[in-house]
Formats: sequence, C-alpha cells, structure tokens
Amino acid sequence: MFLQQLINGIVIGSVYALTAMGATLVYGIMRILDINNAGAYALGAYVGLLTYNATGSLLLTFIVGMLLTGLYGVLVQKLLYVPMLDKSPNVSLIASIGLFIFLSDLIRMVAGPSIKGFHAEVPFSSIYTESLNINGAWILIIVTTFLLLAVLWFLLNKTKIGLAWKATAQDLETAKAMGVNVNMMVALNYLLGYGFAAAAGIMVGILYSSVFPTMGDVPAYKMLAIIVLGGLGSPVGTVIAAMVIGLAETLIGGYIGFFLPRDAIAFVVLIIILLFRPQGLISKN
Amino acid sequence: MYEIVVAINVGIFVVLAMSINIITGYAGQPTLGHAAFFGIGAYTSAVLSGAFGLSFWVSFPLAGIIAGLVGMMLGLASLRVQEDFLAITTIGINFVVVAIFQYVPLFGASLGLSVPRPTFFGQDFGNVHFLVLVVGLILFTYFVNRRLENSWLGMALGGIRNNEMAAAALGIDVNKFKIIAFILGTFLAGLAGSVYAHFMGFIMSNDFAFLTSVTILSMAVIGGLGTIRGPIFGALLLGLAPEVFRFVSDYRMLVYGGLLVLMMRFQSQGLVGDDSYLWNMITRKKSWFSASTKG
Amino acid sequence: MKKIIFVGLLILVFAFAVFGCGAKQEPADNGGEQQSQTGEQQQSKEPVKIGFFAPLTGPAAADGESVQNAAELAVEQINDAGGINGQLVELVDYDDGLDSKQAVNIAQKLTTKDNVVATVSGSYSGPTRAVAPIFQRAKIPMISAYALHPEITKAGDFIFRQSFVGTVQGKAGAYVAVEMLGAKKIAILHIDNDFGSTLAQSFEAYAEAKGAEVVSIDSFSFGEKEFTPVLTKIKEEGADLVYMPAYAGEGAQIVRQAKDLGLEAQLLGTEGVDSTTQFLEVAADTADGLVITTNLNRDSDREVVQKFLTDYSDFSGHAPDMVAASTYDAFMVLASVMKEYGTEPAQILEGLSKVKNFEAVTGVLHGYNELGEVTKAVQVQEVKNGKFHSYGQIDDPEIITPPNK
Repeated sequence: MFLQQLINGIVIGSVYALTAMGATLVYGIMRILDINNAGAYALGAYVGLLTYNATGSLLLTFIVGMLLTGLYGVLVQKLLYVPMLDKSPNVSLIASIGLFIFLSDLIRMVAGPSIKGFHAEVPFSSIYTESLNINGAWILIIVTTFLLLAVLWFLLNKTKIGLAWKATAQDLETAKAMGVNVNMMVALNYLLGYGFAAAAGIMVGILYSSVFPTMGDVPAYKMLAIIVLGGLGSPVGTVIAAMVIGLAETLIGGYIGFFLPRDAIAFVVLIIILLFRPQGLISKN
Repeated sequence: MYEIVVAINVGIFVVLAMSINIITGYAGQPTLGHAAFFGIGAYTSAVLSGAFGLSFWVSFPLAGIIAGLVGMMLGLASLRVQEDFLAITTIGINFVVVAIFQYVPLFGASLGLSVPRPTFFGQDFGNVHFLVLVVGLILFTYFVNRRLENSWLGMALGGIRNNEMAAAALGIDVNKFKIIAFILGTFLAGLAGSVYAHFMGFIMSNDFAFLTSVTILSMAVIGGLGTIRGPIFGALLLGLAPEVFRFVSDYRMLVYGGLLVLMMRFQSQGLVGDDSYLWNMITRKKSWFSASTKG
Repeated sequence: MKKIIFVGLLILVFAFAVFGCGAKQEPADNGGEQQSQTGEQQQSKEPVKIGFFAPLTGPAAADGESVQNAAELAVEQINDAGGINGQLVELVDYDDGLDSKQAVNIAQKLTTKDNVVATVSGSYSGPTRAVAPIFQRAKIPMISAYALHPEITKAGDFIFRQSFVGTVQGKAGAYVAVEMLGAKKIAILHIDNDFGSTLAQSFEAYAEAKGAEVVSIDSFSFGEKEFTPVLTKIKEEGADLVYMPAYAGEGAQIVRQAKDLGLEAQLLGTEGVDSTTQFLEVAADTADGLVITTNLNRDSDREVVQKFLTDYSDFSGHAPDMVAASTYDAFMVLASVMKEYGTEPAQILEGLSKVKNFEAVTGVLHGYNELGEVTKAVQVQEVKNGKFHSYGQIDDPEIITPPNK
C-alpha cells in the first residue's frame, strides 16, 4: 500500500508544482504575488475542454490551452502588473485577487455554474498489478510535468534567455542597464507561467474528468503556501515544496485520516517549517 | 426593521475595516487573515456565553482580549518573517483557525454554534439595542484610530510604513510598534466578532473564511488605507452594495472583482484616500471653483 | 470639521440610495393584521407573494441555479392553473451568495418590506439556520427545501422542512446497507459539514444496532477531488460496503476512483449525489451499481413525478435533481394549502400542520410533525446503465418517522 500512496503523492505534487511554478516565476522577476495564476489554471482547463471537444486531439488541447492562456498572461502583465510595479506589492496582490474573482465569475457566467465532464482518451494505459493501481491519467501527469519542467530547466540554465532571466530576477534595474530587454523577459515570464498553470488545469480536468468555474479557488491559496515554503522565487524550491505537500496530504489522508481539512495541511506544514527556517526551504541565494 | 438590520451588518464591517487599517494602513503589515480574529472573537464570546453561561457583558470584552492575545502572537511571528511571507502566513492562520472551528466539538464542529441573546437589565436585546452597541463600537474604534493618528505612536507607525529603515535609524522601536498595531487591530476585530455572534444568534466556521478576510481588506483598500474615512467609506460601499444593487446581483462578483482591479490600477490610494481624485475634489485642491473665483 | 461633514453626507447619501430603492409602498410592521382588515376585495386583485432565496452566486451556484429554475417553474404552473383561487402568485426571490449575513438582510426585507405570506429557503444549512428565527419572530411560515441542519426546525412552529432530516436518512441508509444489501463490515466516508456529519452519526448508530461493524470513519472537505489515498486504505481494511454522504462533485470522484482502484465494496450514497448533470455526467459508467437513498423516484408511475421530470427538462434544458424536486414540492404544498385554508400567514401555518397524504414529486407526504419535519417514504435508487432507477422504498414508520423535539 505504501508504494501506491507514494506514487499518488508524487502525482499530486506534480500538479501542484506546475500550478505554483507560474507564481514562482512571477515573483522571481517582479517580486509580486499573483493569485490570478489560479485563474489561468481554470481558464486553461476550460479552453482545453473546448479544444478537446472540437478536435479530439490531446496534443492540440495542451498546445492551444497553454498558448491562449499564456497570451492572456502577456496581456495581463502589460495592462495591469507592469504599470503597477512602482507601487507597494500589496497593491498588485489585491489587484490579482480582484482579477481572479472577476475571471472565475466570468467563466461561471459564460459556461454555467455546474460541473462539466471532461472525458479524454489518455494515450497511456493504466497499470494494474496485485498491489498497485496506476491510472493512465497519472502517467500522463508525471510524464507531462517532467517534460515541461525539463524544458524550463533547460531554458533557465542552458540558454541565453535563461541567463537574461536570472539577471533580471537578481536585479531588474541593473539588468536593464546592461541591455537586457526587460519587457520581453516579463512577457515571456507570464507566457510560460500562465501556460504551465493552464497545463496543470487541463491535466486536473482530465484526471477528475470535471471542470467547474470555482476550480481555481483551492489552488489560489494553496499554491501561495507552496511557493513560500519553497523559498520565494526559487523554481527548484517550488518543486520540492510541491512534492512535500503532495506527499504530506496523501500520506496523512491514507494513514491517519484528515484530522484537519486537507487544504489546511499545506498551511500547517508551512507554519511549522517557517518557525525553524523563516526563509523557506531553499533561500533565493 | 430592515434598515436597522442592514445598518448593524454594515456597521460591524465598518469596525472591521477600521481595525485592519491599524495593521495594514498605519503599520504597513499586510494581513490577509483578519477574519480569523473576527472569528476568534465570535467563537470565544459564543462559548463563554453559551457553554459557560457568562453574561454577554463579560464575554464581549473577553472576546476582544483573547483575539488581541492571539494577535500579539501573530505580531511576534511577523517580526521573524519578511513582508511577503507575512501575507501568506496570515492566510495560513486564517485557514488553521477556521479548520479548528470546523473540527473541534467545543466549537460545535460542522454544526456550528447557537449563541444566546444578550440581556440589558433583564430585557432581551432587540435590534435597536444591537444598533446602539454597534454605533458605540464604531465610535470607540474611531477614537482609537484618531488617537493613533495624532500620537507619537501614529507618527512612528506612519514612519514605519513609509520607510522602516529610516524610522529605525531615528530610534523608533519598530518592532514594539508593529506588535502594538497587531494587538489593537485584532482586539477590535474580536469585539466586532462578539457583537456579530450574538446578533446572528448562530455562527459557523464558514462565516470567517479567507473570502471574508479578502472582503475586509478590500473595504479598507478601496476606501483608502491609512486614513480613517477610507475604511468607513469602503465598508459602506461594499456593505451596502448588495442591497442597493440587488437588481444586478448576478453580476455582483464581476463588479466586485473589476472594481478591485480598476482601483488598484488607477487609484491605489483608495477612492477617498490621500491625494485621490475624489478627495482632492472634495477638499478643493483640484476643482473648478477656485478657477471661477479668479474671475 | 470638513471630514465629519463629508462622512455624514456620505452616510446620508447611502441611506437614501439603499432605502429609497428598497422601500415598497405599504408600511409593513403590522403585516398580517392590517391586510385582513382591508377586506377581501383588495385580496383578489393583489398577487400573493412568496419569498425565496438561493445561492445563485458563490461556491453553490450550481445548486442555486437548479432550485431557482424549480421555483420559477412552480410559480408559472400555479399561475397557469388559475393561481390561488384567482389570485396570482408572485415570486419574490433573492440571491444570498451562500452568505449568512446576506440571508439575514434578505429575511428582514422579506418579512418587513416585501409583504410575503410565506417563504421557501432554497439555500444551504448556514443561511437557512441563521434566518429561521427571523421568520419565526415575524410569524411567517418558512419551508426549508433541502437544508438538513437539525436546529432549523427547532426555531419554532412556523418553520418546516421539505426534505428528510439527517437522522431519518441516516437510519434509512443503515437499513439499506444491512438489511437490503447484507453488509457486515462498513466503512464511512463523509463530507465534513453538517450534512455529512449528521448522516454519518445516525447511520453508524443504527447500523451497529443492527449488528454490522463500522470499521472506519473518514471525512473530507467540500470540493475534495482526491480520494485515492483514503480509498486505498479502505480497500486494505476489507470493508464490504462504503457509505458515502457527499455532494455530486465529490461523490462522482469517489465512485470513479473506487472503480479505478478495483475496490469491490458496494457503494451506498445519499441524496447529495442525486443529480443527473453533475453526478452522472461526470461519473459516467463508473457509477453503475451505486445505490442511494433519496426522495426522487424516477421510475415512479405516479403522474405528478413523470410530469415534473418532463416539465423541468423543457423549462431548464436539463434533467432535474433532488434539490430542484424538493424546492418544487415546497411551492406546490404551499399553493395547495393556500387554496384550501387562505393566504394569511396564520392560515398557511394551520394548513401546513394539517397536510395529510399530499401527492408530491418527492413522495406522498404523510404530513409534517409538531417540529415541522416531514414524514414520507425514503426512496432507494440504483444506477443502471448510467441512469437512476428504482431499487426500493422504505416506509417502515420506525425509520421514516422524524424526531418531534
């Protein structure tokens, strides 16, 4: 049973990692907390559902979902977040909350409040052994997350763009002075970040075969706990924190039972860790 | 009476908005979990009056004190974490507190708690009594804010908000003041919670969830953080809006979300905050009157 | 000084806006008494107002939309059939956003400004529980369509409940589990709010009294989707039945993931998952074999049921669920009572307490007891080929009689 729970925890952690990655990337460059990342998650799921129903292709679903949502991110940063950079970070935080509320309700008005089924054919078949049940969707999640994170890692560490990104994250003004096209960095940031959130939303939609307007509510705050736990702005930290939380929730649910609501666990873990390491698991430097 | 009940509900949130202003407006500490203290006050009062049979007039101040004590712990914790972490930690506290209310039998767990009516010289409270109580609480909160603004405490806090390092360089004990702000703000929220619990007669953990915290902060921010008129205005606006705009109630969340975004983007100092368009018009800094008097 | 004037002006402006928009013509504090004195002539022209509130925005918006449709359909049908002895029914409806504070404001408005003679609550337990005392004090009957909290009806004799109280459904579930399905080792997996807790408690008590063993009790929060960890644990425990009080969103996941894990235990659900659009559509063929206790029998040969199923589908574009059926019934009971006893709140109260064997969509209502709880048979349905079908019915008075204190 332990192996089953472990794999389950990794799957959950993977979804969390992708969802939270956008918020980490944004914080890395702009030092603001963007709750609207969860709105991208829900938007991506719906765009994905529409695409899948229209084309039946899983590949197209991901591409279109990530692309369109990513473009939404580019729009949002240009019109909203960048102009507010000179104000206190609280301002951006509240604006992102407002945008998230707006987007979630817009989805409700356009698509209706009820849960919609998302029945997709997954290209991986499930593995059933005596002691293990691995859903095909789980395999999809692990594979896709691994691929996307690998692409991100490559981008950040092995390309010139990655170098420019790190420079901007280190010190925006200096990077600008050194000739880095900061505007493009930010736009790219959002394209990737919201795109990842969209991918996570699509995969969750497929895994549970359901999309609904309020599906971004839980990720909105849970992902904040995860990025803080990981050490704000560190992609590696985010992945580790996501796995920790995913495993914690799964193991507690599977062995002890939830003595507190599942969503509170992420925060309990966060508070406990912060007591010993106020900078989070991985500090930025 | 309908008007009185609406006034009571709005009034409670006026107090809440003014109380969060002390922490986030004057002391600049972002707190996204204020509803937790609202809830701590409510549940404390409910349990003391209900399970322990104490009079409302005893559980009311105790509710504030207990909320203030927990707030003090949050204040102490805030010293260890940097600002961005603090916002999220406060969310976490909100969740944990609500979770405790939901799961612990003393607090009624998922069934919530019934709260007894307060009595005044033997007579059960009517809605009018509650209104008087709320107005009294608003005035009390107003005076606390006023005193804060005008005192050295207020100037110190304002200094902290604007530039923490400069304030420290001037010899202001930044930490002490941050903690005082937390204590005051949460104490007031606890009092508001007690009134709320006894007025509603029944409380559930959901009443104090993260969304409520966002509402409280929005009220202060939309009105104008760092001023007294701001939170009052914001609470009135957001509190009365569902009643006034019932005919567009389906679009309510769209309008609310949109308002937050537009406000932050274009008037982040709040609708009637310092140097806002509206406030400047009212105080005649930017108006057409002065132009016409010139001839 | 300027600031005080400003704030004062502000308050005045808002006060005008709110109360100017909200006020209706007649002063309402004396409500019922005055109306009956103004004579029958006025009554036959004025519409009869029934209040209604539901969570149209917020996390319960799907249920809100469902019951809103049911309320509008009911009122339309009542009026098409001639109204209440010639008087038309007017639906005075509000959105409470699943927020108790708003529900309180709404209840105050309904009882003091809108001149409603009765109200139906289409909302969850929190708001309903908060407003029950307001209607009781105003002496205006309120029927809770589907909110389960036991304290609601205890607010007073003007408060009624259309759906089973938790203890009845929990007992019925235990009966189904032990007597009809022959379960010996049962695992309970319930939602952690009042709906789930009350059902789980009464189920456990009755099941153990009947000799079954409850091997574990686990809970989850509203909106939970990931059940594989706990289902894996239940599989290890070797339970032969899992009792799952949950709403459609979670229920669909429990059913899917149980199937996926190869969990062989029988799944037993409740009216919470009684929804074609939100449950069956999501769970698809993994729901086959699920048995639930509910109050809507889709195979019923009673005309009122079949007509409702068709009418609701035509009206709203999709099949009805349990909350819609309960709401519809609440209105129909009110209409019937008003036709026979009159449209004054006191008359409606008298009529409701005398209801006997009313043919409702959700069953034949034997009546409401002193507490206001309804007595009717519990329907047991089974999912076969992706649809709900009749599995049985429980009329044993020992089970279906609700508590009267």
